[in-house]
Amino acid sequence: MMTETLFGLPTGVDAAIRLLIVVGVMTVVVMALIYLERKVLARFQQRLGPTRTGPMGLLQSVADALKLISKEDIRPKNADPWVFELAPFLVFVPTFLGFVAVPFTIAWQVRELELGLLYVLAVSSVNILGWVMAGWGSDNRYAILGALRAVAQSISYELPLVLAMISVAMVANSLNLVEIVRQQATVPNIVWQPLPALLFFICLLAEMNRPPFDAPVGESEVVGGPYVEYSGIRWSMFFLGEYAAMFIMSLLGAAVFLGGGAWPLGEELGVGWQLALTVVKAGAIIFLMFWTRASFPRLRIDQMMSFSWKILLPASIAQILVTGGILVYNLPSGLEHTLLAVTSAIGVLFVYTAINRSVATPRPRPVVLVRRSEAAR
Amino acid sequence: MKGILRSLATTFSTFTRKPVTRQYPETHRELPERDRAFPVLLWDQEAHEPFCTGCHACERACPVECMTVLMKDNPAHKSVGGESSRRKIIDKFWIDYGRCMRCNICVEVCNFGAISMNNTWSGHEKSAYDRAELVQDLPMLLSVSRGGELKPWVNE
Repeated sequence: MMTETLFGLPTGVDAAIRLLIVVGVMTVVVMALIYLERKVLARFQQRLGPTRTGPMGLLQSVADALKLISKEDIRPKNADPWVFELAPFLVFVPTFLGFVAVPFTIAWQVRELELGLLYVLAVSSVNILGWVMAGWGSDNRYAILGALRAVAQSISYELPLVLAMISVAMVANSLNLVEIVRQQATVPNIVWQPLPALLFFICLLAEMNRPPFDAPVGESEVVGGPYVEYSGIRWSMFFLGEYAAMFIMSLLGAAVFLGGGAWPLGEELGVGWQLALTVVKAGAIIFLMFWTRASFPRLRIDQMMSFSWKILLPASIAQILVTGGILVYNLPSGLEHTLLAVTSAIGVLFVYTAINRSVATPRPRPVVLVRRSEAAR
Repeated sequence: MKGILRSLATTFSTFTRKPVTRQYPETHRELPERDRAFPVLLWDQEAHEPFCTGCHACERACPVECMTVLMKDNPAHKSVGGESSRRKIIDKFWIDYGRCMRCNICVEVCNFGAISMNNTWSGHEKSAYDRAELVQDLPMLLSVSRGGELKPWVNE
C-alpha cells in the first residue's frame, strides 16, 4: 500500500478499507499464533498439543473463539460498570494502533510515519491503562494486585526499551521505520547494535507479560491477575490484545534489528519476497519467545524490578553514551561501525554475565559445628 | 555454554525429540506379556476343547468369590467314542469381572494350566453401563485364547 489512496478512492473509504484489512489480518494472525504457541510449547515438552479439532488440531483456535463468543459475559455486582467494561478495549485498541506504522515491506504499510519508531513504542505502552482499569474496575484484590504488578513492571521495562531504541535510532539517524529498514540492505542493525537487540527482546517479554516476566498474570500467585473477573468475549479481547502485541512487537524487532524486508536480498526484490522475509524474521522472534517460555521459570516481582533497574537500565544508558561518543567524532564509516559493534558486544557480555550471576546456584552456607562440650552446656 | 544458555539448549534438545504422547483410543501401546488384566480360560488348540476340567480349585481359592464353576462328563472322551483324554470337562463358567481383583491366585492354583491372566488390550477396555455386563460366561472367557490373541508366557 502506498501513501496515496487505493485506486484513487476517497480518503474515508480508503481508511475504512485499510482498517478492515488490519482487523481481519490481526484476528487471523492472533488465532494462528495461539495455535502455534500451543503446538510449539507442546513439542518443547514432548507432547503433541491440540490434535482433535480439524486436521492436526488446526481448527482449535476457531473452536476456542466460538466457545468464548458464546459464553455469558459476567460482570461482578461490585464492579465499576464503565471502568470494568471499557478496560478490554483499552488493552486491545492501542495494540492495533501500533499496526499503522509497522512496515511489512519497504513499500507496504498502512501509513509511512516520519516518527514511526516513536509512535509504535508510544502507542504500545498505552495499554497499561487498560490493565489498571481492569484491576481497579473488577473490585477484586487479586485483580488490583496483578494490575499494580503489571504497572510497576511495565514502567520499569519501558525505560530500557525506549533507551535501547534511541541508540539504534542514533545509528540509523532516523526514526522513520521505512528509512531504518532501507539502511540495513547490506548489514542488519543487530550486528552493529547487539546490546540494544538483547535489551529489546528482554523488555519485550516484560512489556507483554510473557514468561519469565509473567508475575502480573501468574495463576498460582494472583489467579490470573487483572483477568480474574473477566469471562467470554471480554476475556478473549485481553488475549487478542496480548497476541496482537506479540506480533506487532516482533514485526518491529524484525524491522529495526533484522533488516525487515531489505536484508539480505536488497530492496529491488519483489514485494512478495520482502513480505516473506519480514514474516520469517518476525516468526523467528516469536519462536524465541515460545522458547524462553518453555525454558525459564517465573521471576519473583523483586527480582524482576532489580533486574530492570540495576542491570538493564544502566546498560541501556551506557549504550547511548558510548554510541553518542563514537558517532560524534565523524570517524570513517568502517571504523565507526566496527567500534559500535565491539562496544555493544562487550555490553552484551556484561548483561549476560549479570544474568548468569543472578541465576547461579548459591553456595551452601557454611555449617557451624558445635563442639560436644559446648552442646552439653 | 553455561548458565541460561544451557537451559535454552536443554529445552531445545527436547524440542527436537519426538513427542512421547500416544493417541490412546486410536493407537495402543504394545503390552508386555506379563501384563495382568482379568483372568481368561485357555483353549486347547489340539483337542479343540478347553483345558479346564471344572475342578473348582480356582473357585475355592478365589478370595473375592467372583467365580462360578459347573462340571460335566466330557462327551468327547475316549470311553464314549471320542478323541479326548479328559474324563470331565467344564460345563459352565462365570467370572464377575466387577468383583475380580486380579490377584492371580486362580492362575497359581490351577492344576491344568487352564486359566491365565489376559495380557491383551481386550482385558483392559471393559467399561460397561451395567454391572451385569461385567459377568463373563464361558464363550466370552474362552474367546481371547481361542482367537490366538494371548501372548504366550510361562509363569514361573
